[in-house]
Amino acid sequence: MNVILNGKKIFLEKKLSLNDFLIMHNLKENNIVIEINRNIITKSLWHDYELKNNDKIEIITAVGGG
Amino acid sequence: MSLILDKKIYSSRLIIGSGKYKDFEQTKKALDASGAEIITVAIKRTNIGQEKTKKNLLDYISPKDYKILPNTAGCFSAEDAIRVSLLARELLGDNLLKLEVLADKDTLLPNEKETLVAAKELVKLGFSIMAYTTDNISLAKSLEEIGCISVMPLASPIGTGQGIINPEKINKIIKNANVPIIVDAGIGTASDATIAMEMGCDGVLLNSAIAMSDNPELMAEAMKYAIISGRKAYKAKRMNISPIAIPSSNKKDAIS
Repeated sequence: MNVILNGKKIFLEKKLSLNDFLIMHNLKENNIVIEINRNIITKSLWHDYELKNNDKIEIITAVGGG
Repeated sequence: MSLILDKKIYSSRLIIGSGKYKDFEQTKKALDASGAEIITVAIKRTNIGQEKTKKNLLDYISPKDYKILPNTAGCFSAEDAIRVSLLARELLGDNLLKLEVLADKDTLLPNEKETLVAAKELVKLGFSIMAYTTDNISLAKSLEEIGCISVMPLASPIGTGQGIINPEKINKIIKNANVPIIVDAGIGTASDATIAMEMGCDGVLLNSAIAMSDNPELMAEAMKYAIISGRKAYKAKRMNISPIAIPSSNKKDAIS
């Protein structure tokens, strides 16, 4: 199945939890917030959220800005 | 001499942006030299790539040490701004937000209608909104009336460094206001910030004036004193301007 990560298509061989996906792609860190299909997935739910085909994942953080 | 925002007291009336610096280290140095306690950040996608060792801005500027003020930069509609606001709240665990809804990519001027729509909704959602706006006097009042905790009219367009283009309008906004008025955007150098403070602004938010100067750390320090200076001058109330010269010493004691 495929997911869209920050606008880029990514192929996944098997079903994964959001948490495993983040670890696998070396994306798990403190200062991020995650939105899937425009819904915020709170950190405590990362383990339980199972990624689905065509999920649109946005990994968001704070960057420089005025 | 302190600024009260969202029931918190800040000793500095300067808020600085974290954009356009060479690196996070320079951002941190400028922040410390400026004496600012509040720093704005943008809420954007993370860089996904090989640079996993690259640190995050929040690793350099910790929310434990500074008040992080997220903005909705890059939003052109109320809908987008609300989406970004919710992400910011989730990321930082705080309701304080700089609302910025822009009209277009060329002028970067605020979209007045969408700013008002977003502000109304965000206040309902429990956010403490500091609203970036034009120098439109009635809009500034409307933003206050719907519950924004601060109204932030521009001095001039973002990144231009043109200083305060319409001082009369900023003056009217200040006179009408019951919430802190913070001039945001367009400040070019220290004297611009001082003028804003002398007029009676409660604070100044700036970014490029420091980051785009040749020596950001030094300019940050200049801004610190510019704000203090302007505030003191405002409180001291300037002398009247006279059309004719008036001698500084007493005429009657002149040696003749």
